[in-house]
Amino acid sequence: MTDTTTAEIQRFNLTFRIQHVILLVTFLLLAFTGWSLKYPEPALQHTGWWIRLWGGAKTAGVIHRVAGVIMIMDFVWHVIYVVTQLLTGKMKFDPVTTVVPVSSDIKNAVQNILYFIGLSDTKPKFGRFNYIQKFDYWAVFWGMAIIGLSGLVLAFPTKAAIFLPQWSANWIWEVFFVLHSDEALLAITYILIMHFYSEHLKWENFPMSMTWITGKLSMHHFKEEHPLEYELEAKENPGAFRNPGKS
Amino acid sequence: MKKLLLFFALLLGSLTLLCPPAFAETFTCLACHGTMKGKIRTDKGVFIEVNIDEGRFSKSVHGGMGCTTCHKTFKDNPHEVPKGDVAKNIAEMASLISSKAKIDAVAYAACMECHGDDYKQVSESVHGRNIIEKKQHDGALCLDCHGSAHYIMPEKSGESMVNRWKIVETCGECHDKEEIAKKYNLGTHIIEKYEESFHGKKYKLGHPGVPTCVSCHGAHGIRKWDEPGSPVSWENRITTCGKCHPGANKKFVASITHKPTGKDNPIPYYAEKGLIILTMGTIAFVIFHVFLEALADIRDRVFRKKKEEHHD
Repeated sequence: MTDTTTAEIQRFNLTFRIQHVILLVTFLLLAFTGWSLKYPEPALQHTGWWIRLWGGAKTAGVIHRVAGVIMIMDFVWHVIYVVTQLLTGKMKFDPVTTVVPVSSDIKNAVQNILYFIGLSDTKPKFGRFNYIQKFDYWAVFWGMAIIGLSGLVLAFPTKAAIFLPQWSANWIWEVFFVLHSDEALLAITYILIMHFYSEHLKWENFPMSMTWITGKLSMHHFKEEHPLEYELEAKENPGAFRNPGKS
Repeated sequence: MKKLLLFFALLLGSLTLLCPPAFAETFTCLACHGTMKGKIRTDKGVFIEVNIDEGRFSKSVHGGMGCTTCHKTFKDNPHEVPKGDVAKNIAEMASLISSKAKIDAVAYAACMECHGDDYKQVSESVHGRNIIEKKQHDGALCLDCHGSAHYIMPEKSGESMVNRWKIVETCGECHDKEEIAKKYNLGTHIIEKYEESFHGKKYKLGHPGVPTCVSCHGAHGIRKWDEPGSPVSWENRITTCGKCHPGANKKFVASITHKPTGKDNPIPYYAEKGLIILTMGTIAFVIFHVFLEALADIRDRVFRKKKEEHHD
């Protein structure tokens, strides 16, 4: 507890880190290759050289489909992994450490914004995941349901057509198309603004938080940003803070 | 030395043999028609261009042909009437397409002399019948899609109007026009909807396998989409789409209509509106949040520094 500058705690195990790396690589590939298809206007000068950079429209299409399937597999792996962890008791539900939104998140959000604008002097106390991080996490589920599903339909349209009801055939294709395209734009802008600010631009993380590689969080950061979990850990496992933990 | 001279003499001699007989005649016509400036007013009061760009003509697919191969007869006569009769079928066709071909209907009909099959298909198509039966003047015939017969380039050439990277623009010459759509009761925003579709987006990006207008609708023999003979009629659509999408079924082929989303297709229309609100709302919140957070972070870093140090 004395040396708060170098001590670290284990945040994400190797499985989670690998899942995150796959997610980030496939996300970038999908965003880069999909961008030209969303904005193919020749008037936008970037479109031509950008699509050539990805090997032309045909190759970019293959990259997009492969990356999409890998991302979905990564997501399925994550869900199975977490469910298994919960069922075998290796992971336990606790309001302080859970990523599931709880009522205190709304309170914290209001409190946090009040703190931002100077109407409150106290920062809200966050658990393992603050409300933005929870939003980040569940945004992937939303993205998978909307973009992943519509992407599968658009990538394999003749197969998907077998399962579509006849009464939807006159409008559902356009809906899938709009869903895929609009929600992808939302995902890209969200990551560019929120995630980049939190994990790259924020003073203590600049130029990049290393947690995604090491899985570790500095004790100082832990105490400052996740005080509820810090208190919980200190109470339950006083010796753990000296040990950076095993991956 | 003598042998060498003889060789060149023979070479030159054989070259003249290789030249098409029409060459001399074309050369004579172009003496005037290659140097004319401005336009000429015909009896009917139409101004026509009668100058030929010799360079472009000679490079075109018809560059080796003589003028009178197509221009068989001249009614308006500053010229001597060329000898030789106009074949009966060409004369007939010329009178059938007279609503379209105002200047030299015989020359226009003469395409059929070499392009008989295509001409037959066109004359039975929706474009051809529009001119032959309905006597319209603004529908498409050979030159509207292929450009002037003097300058037609091979289809693979980028200069061809029916090249796959030009054809959408060429069809759009008429099908992107509101007055044409209104007059013939056609769908509006056809080209726009194509360009918004996956096919159109890939087209813009230069995807080598992307379908253009003619890939689905056919070219010379084109029919109105709901005629039984059209490749995009409901009866034929499964086969047509199936060329690229094996396994296409009835529900799949409903995906492309070129219909603008609006009142008659409200679900995608309102789905898009809803998604725009959702997307813009979320982005606005995220920008708002990050902006406030950044300001607060700067404030804490700069103005409340002492407090932090005190904590540590």
